[in-house]
Amino acid sequence: MSTCLGSTMNDYTFSYKTELPVDGSLGEKDDWHVFVSAFTSAERVLRVFDKVIARRKRWIVFPEYDYRPDGLPSEDHYLGEAANEAEYTQAFWDSFGEDIGGKNVCVDTTGFIRPYLIFLLRWFMEKGIRRFDALYSEPVHYRNREKTQFSGESATEAKVHQVAGYEGNHSPDTSNDVLIISAGYDHQLITRVAENKDHARKIQLFGFPSLRADMYQENVLRAHEAEEAVGPQATTNFAPANDPFVTASVLSSIVHQLNQKKPITNLYLSPLATKPQVVGFALYYLTELRGSASSIIFPFCDSYDRETGTGLARVWKYTVELPSP
Amino acid sequence: MDAGFSKIHKVVRMGTKMSAEPNPFNITKAVDFSDRQIHDYWVDISEGAGFSDMLKPTSPMPMLILGGKGSGKTHLMRHFSYALQQIRNADNLLDGIKSDGYLGIYLRCGGLNAERFSGKGQRDDAWVEVFAYYFELWLGQLLLTTVIDLCADCDDLATEEPPTCQELAALFDVPGTGSATSFASIRDHLRELQRSLDTAVNNCAITRKLDAQIALSRGSLTFGMPHILATHLTPLRDILFVYLVDEFENLTEPQQKYVNTLIREKERPCTFKIGARLFGVRTYSTYSADEDNKEGSEHETLWLDSRLRSKEQQYTSFSQRLIARRLSEYVPVAQASQQSMPEFLRGLFDTPPTSDLAREETGDIPDKYQGGERPYFRSLSDKLQAGVRAGVAPGITTEDEIGTIMDTLRCAELPLLEKANIFLLYKSWHSGNDLVQAAASIAEDCQHYADGERQGRYTDTLLHFKADLLAQLSRECGQKQRYRGIDALIDMSWGFPKNLLILLKCIFSWAVFYGEEPFRGKPISVRAHDAGVAEAAEWFFRYARMTGPDGQNIQDAINRLGTLFRGIRYSDKPAECSCSAFSCDLSRVSPEARKYIDLAQKWSLLIDVGDQPDRNTERVDLKFQLNRMLAPRWGIALYRRGVLALSPEEVNAIFDVGQAGRFDEVLQRRVDRMTAPFFGRKPTSTPSKSQNEYLPGFNDE
Repeated sequence: MSTCLGSTMNDYTFSYKTELPVDGSLGEKDDWHVFVSAFTSAERVLRVFDKVIARRKRWIVFPEYDYRPDGLPSEDHYLGEAANEAEYTQAFWDSFGEDIGGKNVCVDTTGFIRPYLIFLLRWFMEKGIRRFDALYSEPVHYRNREKTQFSGESATEAKVHQVAGYEGNHSPDTSNDVLIISAGYDHQLITRVAENKDHARKIQLFGFPSLRADMYQENVLRAHEAEEAVGPQATTNFAPANDPFVTASVLSSIVHQLNQKKPITNLYLSPLATKPQVVGFALYYLTELRGSASSIIFPFCDSYDRETGTGLARVWKYTVELPSP
Repeated sequence: MDAGFSKIHKVVRMGTKMSAEPNPFNITKAVDFSDRQIHDYWVDISEGAGFSDMLKPTSPMPMLILGGKGSGKTHLMRHFSYALQQIRNADNLLDGIKSDGYLGIYLRCGGLNAERFSGKGQRDDAWVEVFAYYFELWLGQLLLTTVIDLCADCDDLATEEPPTCQELAALFDVPGTGSATSFASIRDHLRELQRSLDTAVNNCAITRKLDAQIALSRGSLTFGMPHILATHLTPLRDILFVYLVDEFENLTEPQQKYVNTLIREKERPCTFKIGARLFGVRTYSTYSADEDNKEGSEHETLWLDSRLRSKEQQYTSFSQRLIARRLSEYVPVAQASQQSMPEFLRGLFDTPPTSDLAREETGDIPDKYQGGERPYFRSLSDKLQAGVRAGVAPGITTEDEIGTIMDTLRCAELPLLEKANIFLLYKSWHSGNDLVQAAASIAEDCQHYADGERQGRYTDTLLHFKADLLAQLSRECGQKQRYRGIDALIDMSWGFPKNLLILLKCIFSWAVFYGEEPFRGKPISVRAHDAGVAEAAEWFFRYARMTGPDGQNIQDAINRLGTLFRGIRYSDKPAECSCSAFSCDLSRVSPEARKYIDLAQKWSLLIDVGDQPDRNTERVDLKFQLNRMLAPRWGIALYRRGVLALSPEEVNAIFDVGQAGRFDEVLQRRVDRMTAPFFGRKPTSTPSKSQNEYLPGFNDE
């Protein structure tokens, strides 16, 4: 566990990233003991759940999606009372009825609400899971192109705070604070985060290459709406939208380089873009930043859009290796 | 602008942002400035001791510095912080600080990430204790870092360090500093305590146990350290330790209550200057028997933007120097004296001259409508015909008379006077006067005015309604509304320097987009100016709103208010001139409406502009004006003249979400009263005999 920001620069790209066939089954019988997916009615989430072969498959249903009882899946699922990401995740696994330590776990990250996904990695680490598979299915395109809203109408009501398990050990010296935002389509969320850490130097990380060719332009157009909040001195970096390992490596490199120039006093990470990038942020934090003056912050909303994409273009499998607690 | 063009345009402008042309107004927030830049770009107000008189850094009385977003709180507070004292007193730091009489310890509440001190299965009162301890550790480190820095610069202080440290170590309830002989070792100890507390707080989310040991009593470092430092370090003996606590709005209510308690129980040689947004103070309560801190007793309040607005001349001069300072690194700003600076700045914008008769502003109208009817005459003709059909156009008996009236009111070379003539005719019409006679009388007055006579009702009309009539002309003739020139920009910002910078930033960006060389070549064009102003106004409307459902409700209410003002301004016979303010008896409106008026004020969308005696009673009503930044959004007046007296029902329809369904009716009723031919009166179902005899062409349907 590091207490010094950016002292090392790690390469995460040795990890396995595999494209799975869209047609046919996903996985072999003994590949995964447990498969968990976040329920949404999006085609790409439902199809992957159907196609995955695992000893036990279970949906986690998030209250923020606001599904009515008759809209819930017929398969094994968990829907609890609204709680924060830590409480809800723990309640889910408590209700699971078996210890997942030492088991092969696969998580479809596609439908996850970001703070839950971020906390999940921390939870796995605490539970002694050193390795798990994460799936992500790409849409053919987002439903309303560059106007797609992921956090619904509640984006303007978002409250920014740290994600449980990623709260860090911050410094009273705020003279060179840095905020790295992986900028998604929700410019309102970018604005909220940028305003919350108004004083920090901003770095925007765009998904490039993007999932589909036109998505980069859509992304930049939307992110531009947050220009005033992000400020004129924000710098731009790129990491592939579908690669958590390159994302983690890019983060490691950015922070290391910034720190070389001038020691960062506090570092804030805010992953607002694709789920693979979210996994990359969490992985980077758990590997390099725990115990340092850094945290992951997120603009929490009361509700999120259930279906943001249409179609199923590709399915990725990432084998994520977590550090020891 | 269609959506496709808008998108291309946005992308191109994003390209210009990345171009080599640096925008001197790019940085609009103090947080984006380094300490050196805060110092270099500092502009003081010219009166007395400037901002020092406002913030009173040597006064032991704690102060709340409240202001809207962009009023300059952070810039001001950082100016008085140690980091800036250091820059200002580079030659002899200690002497400089002694001369200043204070040591500014700047704390940004956002850095505390205070929201994590809640929930996680723990009791609220436990979190209050933990936060209080954390705050002590945080403030203690900031103070010691300052002192360490000071000692590095001053040998006199360094010699006193060991004995001072022994006393500082005694402040801890739980030993741990050992035989600390340096400030650095005590600070390291505080850092370790903070680290272990952080770990306990963070792990609590997973373990549901809060395993924290509290090693300090409340206030022991906050007050104890300055006392010991001032006692042992002779040069600091008469120095006031000023805790500059910024972003107070980032603390929760129980956390603010703790800081309020520190304010209430403050001990010499300490004081607090607390910076917060207008909505940022959640409570004045304290943990001292739940007593409230009172203005004048426990603290004083600086209402920053309000103070800046209150002295218009001073704010104008301050703004001009602020602009000149930004421009000085971009273009050679004339070493202008105070007198010539305004002229220099005015010359940067292509501002068409104005005159009594508005020949320049309206000069293109005669050409544009050559051979055709001007839109306002077309509208007058339609209304007169409708009036005749409905039997409500006194004095008109033949179709020819409509033509006569219109010809009588024409003043082809002076469209402003034509508008004034029509406005006066509508007034006469509203009063039930014979329209043919009225037109003749108005034309006579118009001729006198055109000949230079400046007295009587015609002159009064133009004195009061000229801006509205020009706005109507612009609208009717397809021109942009005018909010032009540096003076208008300064007036629009109205106590919010950030808004001024945003206006200039947008204008610059549009000028570059149009291929101009802003501030370097010719004056900035009218079209770049207009586009920049419109963009800044829209930005303010969209982003100067609070989060949460209340934010949307306030925005909707302001939208309704703006729509009402617009409806009135562009009506045939506006009852109030330059209407951008309203008065009301707040005691009679619904609690919901009161709440949103209050919130709109706290978010600086509405500005309290004093009291207004009600015309019909002895009552004195409160008066609010829409923030001037919003005026371009609805094309309403920048400067307030008339004030619209709203009934409680009308206020409720605007501000009470539950009664907003009645707004359209309220709007229509108001505007109908100012609209020909009926002026709010219900048309009679059967016109009188004489009026029932339709003129040729009036009964075609």
